[in-house]
Amino acid sequence: MVNLGFFFGEAWTGFKRSGIMSLVSIGTITVSLIVFGVFLLVVLNIGSVVSHAGARLEVMAYAAGDLSEARLNELEVSLNRLDGVEEVEFISKEDAWEDFTKHFGGRLKLDFSVGDNPLPYTFVIKVRNVDVVSGVAKGASRLKGIEDVRYAGKLVEKIRTLAAAVRVGGLVLVSLLSFATLLIVVNTIRLTVLARETDIYIMRLVGATDSFIKGPFIIEGIIIGIIGSALSVSVLFSSYELVASRIAEALPFIPIVFEGSSLFVIYGMVAVVGSFLGMLGGYISVSKSLKE
Amino acid sequence: MIELRKASKIYPGSAAALVDVNLHIGKDEFVFIVGPSGSGKTTLLKLLYREELPTSGEVIVDKISVSGLRNRDVPYLRRNMGVVFQDYKLLPRRTIQENVSFALWVTGAPRAEIRRKSTLVLELVGLAKKANSFPQELSGGEQQRACIARAIVNNPPLLLADEPTGNLDPSTSWEIVELLDKINKRGTTIIVATHEKSIVDRMKRRVVAIELGRIVRDEQLGSY
Repeated sequence: MVNLGFFFGEAWTGFKRSGIMSLVSIGTITVSLIVFGVFLLVVLNIGSVVSHAGARLEVMAYAAGDLSEARLNELEVSLNRLDGVEEVEFISKEDAWEDFTKHFGGRLKLDFSVGDNPLPYTFVIKVRNVDVVSGVAKGASRLKGIEDVRYAGKLVEKIRTLAAAVRVGGLVLVSLLSFATLLIVVNTIRLTVLARETDIYIMRLVGATDSFIKGPFIIEGIIIGIIGSALSVSVLFSSYELVASRIAEALPFIPIVFEGSSLFVIYGMVAVVGSFLGMLGGYISVSKSLKE
Repeated sequence: MIELRKASKIYPGSAAALVDVNLHIGKDEFVFIVGPSGSGKTTLLKLLYREELPTSGEVIVDKISVSGLRNRDVPYLRRNMGVVFQDYKLLPRRTIQENVSFALWVTGAPRAEIRRKSTLVLELVGLAKKANSFPQELSGGEQQRACIARAIVNNPPLLLADEPTGNLDPSTSWEIVELLDKINKRGTTIIVATHEKSIVDRMKRRVVAIELGRIVRDEQLGSY
């Protein structure tokens, strides 16, 4: 590539000449990318919360204490057949009583206060994922002999709603910011384009192809994009560890993601989006000129 | 080499710049297009290097229909012709040699070839010593020589000049025309749009006169 040096030289000159506007562009891209990155990190962590909550999700179905063993077996089979059920564990009322007395027996004289074992039979149903919980619970409650069904459904659903809201809101915010960023980059590089109108005119006159003319401006955009990406990734990188470890300390039940690979995917996305915005900005600003 | 068939150009919102122009120019000819300002000389040249498209009619350069050319093929048309302007259109922050090299750069020519060809052409126009000067350090005549050097560095078969002596004093103008004549003798077709009577009369070449967008006279060995 004979022309690559020429392209980069031109691009760098344009970048310097636009001075303040180049800095403004970089600043805007940086801020937008930070918001974008924060959004991705929040989504990542909410996803982790949802999947953790889902993994521990169990539906408890209680059966009346006077059911026959045959009927209990039938119930277990029916529960296993419900859509989304992974595993059903049966806890007899005798086991439950033993467990109960083991925990509380030291404090209460249970044998005296309660004559007969009052505990129900329990089926602990493990479900495949969060989405099927309420369906399984409903199905179980319809079975004859099941007296009560309990699950931590409300909480999980609230988290899921929140996650969806964050995703939609974040996407809207990110697209608006990207658009604003793009406009600013376009206008910055437009300054270079205007300053070079004679150059462009002569280039066209001596037979430069459009793609040759666009080259330096697109590279100028990419330079702006890459600098912005580098700044935002370093801000995200250094502050995430800090913020995340504080949260993990204060709210230990939230499963914060520290795993390097998923974080690097996010930083990579931020960098790619930044460079792409810059490139697109350069492309648009010079294409406008060439059409005239 | 050049053929215009009933070529007309009407700019939106103004009178016709060219009306039904038929013109044939052969290879290696040296032709003056003369006429008062606004007669359509510049428009005629613009049709040839496809800065403008004809409103109707056909324009053919070197067997290629310029009027039917796709936009993305225009660069390749222009690599086969040089264009010289009254105001030189040199890039101010580049040296003369860089300005000349520019025309080769954009075609992706190798560095050594750019160096060799640009040096050669600067010698031809008599600017070898000014290769590393900037345009603003040169006189008008020298700047026009640089512009001509840039136009012919590709060895194009055709050179178009729009009022090349418009900003120059008579003796310098004559030097420029002699340079064009020298280039013509090397085998380049040359078309010069001008309204300078003295030059045209002295050269005694083919003269095409335009008035109000129509060709009113076409003479071999003519005068203004």
